[in-house]
Amino acid sequence: MTRADRILILVIVCTLPFLYVHLWSVSEPADFIVVHSGNHNPFTATLHPDRMLHVAGPLGESVIEIRDGRARFFSSPCKSQVCVHSGWLSSTGEFSACLPNRISLSLSAQHRHYDAINF
Amino acid sequence: MKKQCIRVACLLLSLSISACDQNKDRVFHDQFFSFGTLIDVSLYGVEQQLAESICRKIEADFMDMHVRWHAWQPGPLVSLNNHLANLEATTITPSLLQLLKEANRLSRLSSGLFNPVIGNLVELWGFHDNALPVGMLPDSVAIKELVDLHPTVEDVTINDNIISNQNPSVSYDLGGFAKGYAIDRAIERLRESGIHNAIINAGGDLRAIGQHGERPWRIGIRDPRQSGILASLEISGDASVFTSGDYERFFEVDGKRYHHIIDPRTGYPANNTASVTVIHSDAATADAAATALFVAGPDGWLSTAQNMGIQYVMLIDTHGNIHMNPAMRSRIHFESGMQANIILSAPLQ
Repeated sequence: MTRADRILILVIVCTLPFLYVHLWSVSEPADFIVVHSGNHNPFTATLHPDRMLHVAGPLGESVIEIRDGRARFFSSPCKSQVCVHSGWLSSTGEFSACLPNRISLSLSAQHRHYDAINF
Repeated sequence: MKKQCIRVACLLLSLSISACDQNKDRVFHDQFFSFGTLIDVSLYGVEQQLAESICRKIEADFMDMHVRWHAWQPGPLVSLNNHLANLEATTITPSLLQLLKEANRLSRLSSGLFNPVIGNLVELWGFHDNALPVGMLPDSVAIKELVDLHPTVEDVTINDNIISNQNPSVSYDLGGFAKGYAIDRAIERLRESGIHNAIINAGGDLRAIGQHGERPWRIGIRDPRQSGILASLEISGDASVFTSGDYERFFEVDGKRYHHIIDPRTGYPANNTASVTVIHSDAATADAAATALFVAGPDGWLSTAQNMGIQYVMLIDTHGNIHMNPAMRSRIHFESGMQANIILSAPLQ
């Protein structure tokens, strides 16, 4: 066995635990949002940087605020404002929806910690 | 020796690559709007074409049930309520018959705390509208009149496919039950199609069957008073997790919250409870029980759960105390940093 072989094996053996933790682990925090609008294809957006997203629905424009790795409905043209009152979403799997304007917002991650959220 | 080293390296690399493959998300997700909420379907290990096809069938089923069972938009249930209000006997379709029989049975088990025939009260409070009332309470005299008429499922008689009624204040509103019943039908359809690992999540109320590959499904329970997850549990096999909360549909007048879960005994939104989470194999039972236990409150939930055959309950009162039975305590895992006062009850049989 040459020195290069030993180094190769050493590198792989050292890398395996890292790969195990990072590829099999499911404890990743939310890192993007998924927005559904009516019958349009859903789109995703990262939780950084802080910004406002304007999403068109049948009633008008809903505004989604992204701040400090969280997201919420900032405003919506619906009467009830349930979506706005539901507040910030911060964990993977959480979701909020403006049903009258047919727009939903959910948090997700490359590796989801929860398969579903009950509330 | 050199060849052996290469073989070892290849083996280790293939293990690494297999980890990448294992981690690939093999869950098919689909979402659609129905029953006034977002329905989220997760199917594990199902080929995409079949998954898309079955999701479209489930969506069609939900849309159909939503129309047929809607409490205030024109359809079979509204038509039935008109007959019941006039004390006229009428025939009902087999699907509605089954739904009403099950709702009536669960109402009896809950001693009327889950009451599916208080549609007039729910309407009086303004919850028969997609938009919530703003700044106005219903007339207290009108509330008292409806409570005094005391509509219960005992006023209703079902013989074969004929339903009759002896109390004109009876009006079916299946809001606290139909969603669970619809989820059960969707799970039946999945199983008929050979799908045994799935979650149907209807606006936060869900039923999970099977598991996520080699591990259980992981379910987070949202904190009723702030953003974030309060607790979590794992499901392998078949379980429904339903929560009724005062944060779901409500309006405020003079700083006081009025939510949609009406206590049939008083005619007003049930006091003292912030949320109730119930686990049961059957989604319809879990749905009705979550409503009944919410109304029963911190002092009455245990006996109601016992009568309804519920084995896992967590009730959070309006002071933030967490009431639960020992089986529930051992089943769920609280997130680190959770500081609420936990009050353990006697075991449920």
